[in-house]
Amino acid sequence: MSTITIAWIAFPFFVGFSIYLLPKLDRYLALGVALVSAGYALQLFAERSPLTLQLLDHFGVTLVVDQLSGYFILTNALVTAAVILYCWHSGKTAFFYAQTIILHGSVNAAFVCSDFLSLYVALEVISIAAFLLIAYPRTDRSIWVALRYLFISNTAMLFYLVGAVLVYQAHHSFAFAGLRGAPPEALALIFLGLLTKGGVFVSGLWLPLTHSESETPVSAMLSGIVVKAGVFPLVRCALVLDEVDPIVRIFGVGTALVGVFYAVFEKDTKRMLAFHTVSQLGFILAAPGVGGFYALTHGMVKSALFLIAGVLPSRNLKELQQKPINTAVWVALVIASFSISGFPLLSGFGAKVLTTKNLMPWQAIGMNLAALGTAISFAKFIFLPHGAAQEKAVKPGFWPAVILLLGGLFAANVVYYEAYTIANILKPLAIIGLGWLAYFLIFQRSVLKLPRVLEQFEHLIGVMSLMLILLFWMVLA
Amino acid sequence: MLEACIFATILCGFFGIILKKNLVMKIISMDVMSTGVIAYYVLVASRDGLFTPIVSTVKNGAYSDPVPQAVILTAIVIGFSIQALMLVGVMKLARDNPTLESNEIEKNNTP
Repeated sequence: MSTITIAWIAFPFFVGFSIYLLPKLDRYLALGVALVSAGYALQLFAERSPLTLQLLDHFGVTLVVDQLSGYFILTNALVTAAVILYCWHSGKTAFFYAQTIILHGSVNAAFVCSDFLSLYVALEVISIAAFLLIAYPRTDRSIWVALRYLFISNTAMLFYLVGAVLVYQAHHSFAFAGLRGAPPEALALIFLGLLTKGGVFVSGLWLPLTHSESETPVSAMLSGIVVKAGVFPLVRCALVLDEVDPIVRIFGVGTALVGVFYAVFEKDTKRMLAFHTVSQLGFILAAPGVGGFYALTHGMVKSALFLIAGVLPSRNLKELQQKPINTAVWVALVIASFSISGFPLLSGFGAKVLTTKNLMPWQAIGMNLAALGTAISFAKFIFLPHGAAQEKAVKPGFWPAVILLLGGLFAANVVYYEAYTIANILKPLAIIGLGWLAYFLIFQRSVLKLPRVLEQFEHLIGVMSLMLILLFWMVLA
Repeated sequence: MLEACIFATILCGFFGIILKKNLVMKIISMDVMSTGVIAYYVLVASRDGLFTPIVSTVKNGAYSDPVPQAVILTAIVIGFSIQALMLVGVMKLARDNPTLESNEIEKNNTP
């Protein structure tokens, strides 16, 4: 089993570089890697005990593979496969597929490591691969967006490195468990890096612009899976160390509310989805124990939504309300929107119920408000006009990708079938109904435009220092 | 004392990123910051002694810890490659924005 794990980690990088040598086989090789990952993840669910690989000696460089990683790896495999299917006929070069697969491999690596150093390497490789993917169209705007992303994540990772050496100094080991006896500034610095990288709370406001301005398949990849590489270590730390757990939960609630607040007022489809990603990351963090299943659901639904938003005739919701969209596309959009609002029969329902069950009492109000906000913001999509208007046919790769993701949503529904009790079913329905009511009464006509001051480059970097102070204070308190 | 100097370097780099207007200067500030971080690793490694842990006939007890130094090598390489990538990006941007002032570029490229 440990040999398989090591081979599986190295496999995407090997194939990624081979794709560049064999450009004719690019799509097949890329899809093959995604399938191998999916197989590996499914096999993890069959295995009961976690697998630990440790580097010789006591530096604490360890890899841990368990069911939590299994959920994240499965998400990664599904999203990558969908993105490759979506790009199948789009004439992307071998370079694009090579980068996609290297990104896939580095995200996988981030999901199995259990020490700060291999995590650092994985996160930096993710930054580089994501930079190349965002800058792929080579327009001025895409280069600027990619440059901004790389800049912010690299600055955050420098803080993280200082934190990692402080942990090493205290314990002579880089393992996550070493955080326990480490000085408080180590925890603050490491968390700053991970929060920024994962797009959580105010330091994550680089995310909306980056995700909305990249190409459709790239935003699906970024929102579906790449941000989770920053969130996963936080979840893992919260599970390993009890004293970190409340901090992670506070950030979870805060993120869920901030993200959804922006999403409700947003008039641009892709930006709304990006803000919504911020809020959903909060749901993953709010209940770390069951974050894996939520991440799986969210990864599938968000990448499907981004792919669908890519084929809508316009990005402006005001224009979309005038123009009827293709009925088939609308049905897919509605299924995805229902899942994310937590409608029964879709996996979003099970994930929401499971998360709600694992909340602390003080979190409940905040998370219910966030769920209400989700229903309001997705009412914008559900009530779009539709008809058999045939302006342009959707891309040929669109349907296989969306069917894979939506099928995954239905299939993942059975994972937590205990959720189907009357009380559990009524609550999300009430929230959705309330959300729609609020949408029709208030938000449909609102023209409030939130300022984007916090999303300017300098402010994003500056907010890091404020977050550092906040974290330091939280750790000491 | 040495530690204070290193933290001053890191902070100088950090404020340089915020305060400098020119994109190239920002990238250089980021490099200053990463130099500070690397120096901190070297400092942590040399807590127990200054001799390099290499097999030789010379006898001395106080070796420096090889792990942080080995580890920071990865970070140096990554930092270097990220910087190279960013400078390529800046070169491309410079064609349409010759002044390279970050707020100008930001204004032109945010929808």
